[in-house]
Amino acid sequence: MGTSKARASTAAAKAAKPAQAPEAPSQNLPDKTFIIDNGAYTMKAGYAADSAEESLSACTSIPNCLVKTRDGSIVVGPQLATNVSDWNEAMFRRPVEKGYLVNWEAEREIWEQCFFEEKATARNRNIRIASPEETTLILTEAPNAMPALQRNTDEMVMEEWGFGGYLRCLGPTLNAWNEVNTLFGDPLARKPGADILPTDCLLIVDSGYSHTTVTPVYRGVAIQRAIRRLDIGGKLLTNYLKEVVSMRQYNMVDETYIMNEVKEAVCFVSNDFSADMERTYKGNVKRQAPSDDSVVVDYVLPDPNAKRKGFMRPYDPLLEAKKKKGALSGLSAETLSEDVLVLGNERFTVPELLFNPGDIGMKEAGVPEMIMQSLSVLPPGLHAAFLANVLVVGGTSLIPGFMERLETELRQIASADCVVRVRRAEDPVRSTWMGGSCLAHSREELSKVAISRQEYQEYGSGWACRKFAGIA
Amino acid sequence: MFRVEVLPGGSSQAQPGYTYVTDRGLGPSQAATAPTLSRKRGIRDAGKGGDISSQRANAIARHIAELNKENHRDVQIAVPVKQAKEAGVRKTREKTTSNVRRILQSQKTFNNYLDDEEAAIAQGGGGLSAFQGGGNANVTAKGAGKAAATAAARRSSTPATGPAKKATGRKRILAEANSASQSAAESSQTEAADGETQTQAEESRPRLLKTEHDNDPLLRSYAPNMPSDRIMQRLLAEPPLSYNASRAAPPLASQPPRGFCCICGYWGKIRCKNCHVRTCGLDCYRLHEDSRCGAFY
Repeated sequence: MGTSKARASTAAAKAAKPAQAPEAPSQNLPDKTFIIDNGAYTMKAGYAADSAEESLSACTSIPNCLVKTRDGSIVVGPQLATNVSDWNEAMFRRPVEKGYLVNWEAEREIWEQCFFEEKATARNRNIRIASPEETTLILTEAPNAMPALQRNTDEMVMEEWGFGGYLRCLGPTLNAWNEVNTLFGDPLARKPGADILPTDCLLIVDSGYSHTTVTPVYRGVAIQRAIRRLDIGGKLLTNYLKEVVSMRQYNMVDETYIMNEVKEAVCFVSNDFSADMERTYKGNVKRQAPSDDSVVVDYVLPDPNAKRKGFMRPYDPLLEAKKKKGALSGLSAETLSEDVLVLGNERFTVPELLFNPGDIGMKEAGVPEMIMQSLSVLPPGLHAAFLANVLVVGGTSLIPGFMERLETELRQIASADCVVRVRRAEDPVRSTWMGGSCLAHSREELSKVAISRQEYQEYGSGWACRKFAGIA
Repeated sequence: MFRVEVLPGGSSQAQPGYTYVTDRGLGPSQAATAPTLSRKRGIRDAGKGGDISSQRANAIARHIAELNKENHRDVQIAVPVKQAKEAGVRKTREKTTSNVRRILQSQKTFNNYLDDEEAAIAQGGGGLSAFQGGGNANVTAKGAGKAAATAAARRSSTPATGPAKKATGRKRILAEANSASQSAAESSQTEAADGETQTQAEESRPRLLKTEHDNDPLLRSYAPNMPSDRIMQRLLAEPPLSYNASRAAPPLASQPPRGFCCICGYWGKIRCKNCHVRTCGLDCYRLHEDSRCGAFY
């Protein structure tokens, strides 16, 4: 086992520490810093930018997958936007499984096409790495990764591409480098021109594609014992919606992409679950003209032949009857040919899983209680500081109503002495990447944690693993 | 009489695991002793009634595994073969090392890695994550102090506790942990005894104004103090938990699970007498009975 070997050699490294670890790290990290936030759904990549305004344009989101379309052709991530128009029955292969980079065969192909193209083109202008030797790479990983996977990652980055400098860090911790004081309405702590320092206490809730994690970050470092994970993310929600719709209406089990779009368009987190349930009960939905305040909506499915995209509109209970009458009812041919999903309680029972995983029998606590579980293993003196600084990132947090529900429920179960402030990052998807961009600017901090190519070549991947774990 | 049931595995894959469960009135020898139970119902209710758990738990585990799949069908999507010209260009850049070849050719999935890690932990290795159980249970602040002490015992390079005064050092850590958990008054003492690191930190921090009302019992803050820097250093130096140990624990308030209608999603008020699924009313029940009664998920 590589892992136990690493452990055993830790002790040896300790004994021979003065001899092995360089006193003043002979680090010369390259100036250019490239940041990859390698998510399971999209990866966010780009060179570190000078200011927050620039960083938005410097960061590019690329789907991190291989897609097999209905006609059998295989398309790699960066080309998806241009090369795929028919998303029906598209199949996905993702190198990042459950949030962890597992399959390097596929990931290398995607990285090669994104970052290491021979020729510079308009598409890859911002994200092309011409010479890895002169670039420092900041790569994020999900918390609690297996040591074997971490080691694979280090070896691939340093031996396949040979980056000049390299830092592998927990994704959530990077958010602490962002400027969050304005978000929480605090006075600016850092003076303009002063060194960038991470926020003191920040509790990061990262709700992504594969899972939702809670990470308390103290001065830019995660408190490992308190990291908790709920195995519900965007993928599970999409699959659940797919299953429910397939059971009740059309068979959509192969339409992952379309159902993901449906989820993003219609789903919301209910702030009064039972009331919303009553509003969507079939006995209560009246046969009347479509109204805007109804929970029930129609989603018109996309039609690739007519090049029409899917969209949401208010529910029309009379549509079915009109369609039966056919052309007599005066509907246009377009309306007659469209396929409609009627979505009622599916809209909010699906994201409800984040707060009540017990609804599908999962034996895990919902997000607010998970936050309290995470805090329960920390000294009580820290509770107030973390509860007052809860930052939510990740794409799943964009579901409407998520923030309100999280804040309400957290307020209910938190101690009455504590202030509870829950905020979502301005751009929850790219917030982690932007934090990395800030970290790249404080060269001093970066050189403390990153390793250089020479060091890797001298001490090897086992040492790199321990260094990133904070042991070496 | 006993029956054998497959246990729901906590592991990622279907593995054999069995338990003996008591059997109520199934066999012909017992039919006479329990004549009121018809044999048909007994067969139908096998694994239901009092102990439905393992069967249901299996179904739930299968359902969740299904929900975690990327595609509904199993498909193999091969990495597209590169053009020969292009591949040639790439080859020239650098020779691939044996590590890279091994990683690229590995067809291991996440579950394989997870099983490897679990096996390593079971053998006592555990890789980088040294103490696994620590985060799983609710560890109080006192436990935190102990864990920190054991960490200190293991890692001699941690600051302050030199080998010469190890015994005293450990005592002090425990005192610190206690102070952090409870009394604010005591903490001032221990922090005073805490040594140079603490005073240094104090100096760099902005100090609060002192007034005569500080000791007024009505105005005093009873909020627990921030833990000292040394405790924070210990906390931050801890190794990560394993994948399974970091999963969120089941909720404390054990409310009965909510049931939903399997047809329309409304509250599931009535339960089908043949299978355990719920429906909201007679309309949905009839639909369920006609079409999918007996189907498991």
